Amino acid sequence: MKGTIFNIQKFCVNDGPGIRTTVFLKGCPLKCIWCHNPESQSEKQEIMFYKDKCVNCGRCAAVCENGCHLFDNGVHKFAQKNCIKCFECTKTGCEALEKVGREITTDEVIDEVLKDKIFYDNSGGGITLSGGEPLCQFDFSLEILKKAKENGLHTAIETCGFTSTDRIKEISKYVDLFLFDYKETTDELHKKFTGVSNGVILDNLALLNNMEKSIILRCPIIPKCNDRKEHFEGICNVANRFKNVLHIELEPYHSLGESKYESLGLIESRFHSPDDSEKEGWLFEISYGTDKKVGFA
Amino acid sequence: MTDLNCIKELVFESDNEACFIERERILNRLEKEFGEYNEPDKYALIFSRLMSEVSTPIEDCDYFAGRVLEEKPDSGMSAPNRLLCATGHMSPDYESLLKYGLKGVLKKIKDAAEEKVDEDSLIFAQNAEIVVNAIKSYTERYAATAKSKGFDRMANALEKVPYEPAYDFYSALQSIWIMHMIASCYVGERDYAFGRFDEYMLPFYEKAIADGASKEELTELLSGFLIKTNEICGRGTHNYKPKPVLCQSSKQYVNIGGENPNEFSKLVLKSAVMNNMAQPQITVLLKPEASEEFTKEVFAAMNKLVDKLHIYNYDLIVNALIKKGISPEDAKKFTFSACCTFDLNYYSYRLEYYTPTLQIFLDVINSKEYSDLEHLAKDLTAALKNDIQNDIENKEKGFSDKEYARKCFMLDCLLHTDTAYKGIYPCDGNSKYKIFNVFCPGVATLGDSLMVLDKLVFKEKRFSYNEFVEILNNNYENQEELRREILNYTRFGNDSDADEYTVIAANSFLDAVDELELKENYYAIGGFYSLERDNTWTVRATPDGRKDGEPFSENQSPTYGADKNGITALLKSLSKLPFERTVTGGLNLTFSQNVSADILKALAVSYFKLGGLHIGISVINAETLKDAMKNPDKYKSLTVRLYGFSEYFVSLPKWQQMAVLKRTQY
Repeated sequence: MKGTIFNIQKFCVNDGPGIRTTVFLKGCPLKCIWCHNPESQSEKQEIMFYKDKCVNCGRCAAVCENGCHLFDNGVHKFAQKNCIKCFECTKTGCEALEKVGREITTDEVIDEVLKDKIFYDNSGGGITLSGGEPLCQFDFSLEILKKAKENGLHTAIETCGFTSTDRIKEISKYVDLFLFDYKETTDELHKKFTGVSNGVILDNLALLNNMEKSIILRCPIIPKCNDRKEHFEGICNVANRFKNVLHIELEPYHSLGESKYESLGLIESRFHSPDDSEKEGWLFEISYGTDKKVGFA
Repeated sequence: MTDLNCIKELVFESDNEACFIERERILNRLEKEFGEYNEPDKYALIFSRLMSEVSTPIEDCDYFAGRVLEEKPDSGMSAPNRLLCATGHMSPDYESLLKYGLKGVLKKIKDAAEEKVDEDSLIFAQNAEIVVNAIKSYTERYAATAKSKGFDRMANALEKVPYEPAYDFYSALQSIWIMHMIASCYVGERDYAFGRFDEYMLPFYEKAIADGASKEELTELLSGFLIKTNEICGRGTHNYKPKPVLCQSSKQYVNIGGENPNEFSKLVLKSAVMNNMAQPQITVLLKPEASEEFTKEVFAAMNKLVDKLHIYNYDLIVNALIKKGISPEDAKKFTFSACCTFDLNYYSYRLEYYTPTLQIFLDVINSKEYSDLEHLAKDLTAALKNDIQNDIENKEKGFSDKEYARKCFMLDCLLHTDTAYKGIYPCDGNSKYKIFNVFCPGVATLGDSLMVLDKLVFKEKRFSYNEFVEILNNNYENQEELRREILNYTRFGNDSDADEYTVIAANSFLDAVDELELKENYYAIGGFYSLERDNTWTVRATPDGRKDGEPFSENQSPTYGADKNGITALLKSLSKLPFERTVTGGLNLTFSQNVSADILKALAVSYFKLGGLHIGISVINAETLKDAMKNPDKYKSLTVRLYGFSEYFVSLPKWQQMAVLKRTQY
């Protein structure tokens, strides 16, 4: 079975226990306004254009049949809208144009992941599926996780939880640890920030807890969006109510995704990046409301 | 301020432009006085005079006696004076020093001379006696100073050691320090190493514990001892404000671990972490199957000490030495006496050769037209073998110079006990093992070059052989597009098929070492090590897209920035290299943020199980390095791992700082 991924990243030490390989799948049902992986949102393959890396060699224009690459007074402009995604321009060896997303079979994923098995064995690590939202490509994710378990790997999945109950039940048979996003407490703001209601998400979280699955709550904290007392209390309530939530990991906003928006021809919502004292303040406030361990992801 | 902090502060306050002023003034005078004197006891007499005149300073916070007065050189003085300069780069036999004292060592030397009754041995013994007595008088004077300050424990120790055997934990450390300081500072040379410190110190540690000493007390003493290794070498490198002393920028190597790590090994780790100073450099010889407890402590220490602790795969090295024909008993006693070079404790006379591998490779590809890799690799091995053989023959010419050896008795001879007990100088060819450390610089650059030749010329035939060689000889002139294409190829370091070419490169070199014609007690051992100084290793353009004069790959590592698939892929690539045929050559990993002890442990243990040889780390991010280049004064204590040791970043020349900056950061 084939799926579309945008990265296989080795030596991940923040996506579950030990040394892990994280597979990033394309496609997400949410549109979080702070998303720092905009290239993960579409399930399709895309082109990212980094204009800073362009040396105006013109090789892209030479191979583009639709005339998407224009050079105006030495300035390279890429007309994303006209692009038919033939990806010829990304094969010229330049660093400015990058194809995001590649089709890959589950066997190929597992072969690549198993290359590092010795490191998982000596660290208690394994494989993590992330994205995007890995459950968007449900069958593909399910098959990877089944094969990972057949090979004795510890499995984790980073999910926003926005999927059907049946799918959660099915996938959880092959998942040792859920890195479960908790983005906003009030439903109205959840819709505003992510585009969807949090009702299904909370139901799925409760379901996983009842199924005795290990959960780490992952909470993006975005200045002037969800850095509110009310939401912090919401985080603590959930953590306190669900005994299988092992601990809480805060993910403070960072601006590393900025250049990606531009490269995809998208417009990014701007937030200010919190400094260390702000982050420590959040940590302190949330730690105050729960006995569970709170840290940064 | 505690005494430990006080002696630390003294190190940080020390002047990098100061020399060992008394030594310089006295030696300058003695050099003139002994100008016409050419008797075989010249060295010993000058040494004796020097030691009788220098003062015996002790700071109030000193745990151990043995420091050297420092001042800026007098006007017109060209410090340091090389009159007594030794060879350094050795592991003195501190084990025998503690067990028998200089008295016992001298007795064995005299007995040998009496038995042999040849002139050289008698001269050797005579010189040894003068030198030993000079040290004895000097330490007796030191004892008097200690007594006058009311430091009774110090005074009592110095009345005995190093002439007599050490009698307890404190006197053992005092004995070692006095000898180490005299060798490094008064005689003068870099890199006297402490050998297998945890083995020979263990009996003294155990006795102290049995006598009721607390671990805390012993940790403090050991810390006081280890801090002293920072007092003697200054804070610059060869490239930057060298301190005008012969041991400037010396690295102080302490080896621990090996076959049976013990309680004292752990104490060394604890004290080193407590000090967290640039010296000593802790070399851990780690068995992949060492106890969980010791392994945990090693990586907890690495997490704190970062670039000041590095780890070798003990089993791999012992097996490689045994395969070379060295007895298992002696193989297990190996010790790193410098960053990437080893000794068989007191049994070897070690010589080094940096084979100009890449230059030879370029000569070979220019010598005739090749049509496949196999013949090219074969000729490369033959050319490398000839070059190394020539070097050994050249070095041999120096061995037979008995006249030189006779006149050049020096302090080093005393503690190179294998030869001392035969009344001979270590370099006259009679060591039990004569080791040639033969290094292959730039193995990944060579491997990637073979890959590119194979792809573009032999397989795809995009260029004729001569066309491609011409492109290289023209330094890729007008071929920027091709060069960029080449630089984009997946190269060594990504756990891909491309790694096989670096394996071919590595084996071509090691085959050359194996094919050398060697005499009976000669052992040539290859390693992937590439110490670059002042960019003197200029190499013309290579097929891997590297232009004339650009840096080539460091030690066993991929070319700078070629490893793009994560650290685990890098380690998998490296583990394909035939390390089981080598003993030295470091891997320096750069992390952009602190890595937990558990993760470091998992990485290293996995790597060693895969057959990896060595791991050293730096934790530093690019922004800090860039800022340090702009504002060196803010980053005086910033250290990074380089080649086989830890070095102050701001003391590096700009090209080397750029090379560190270009490394892949994980």
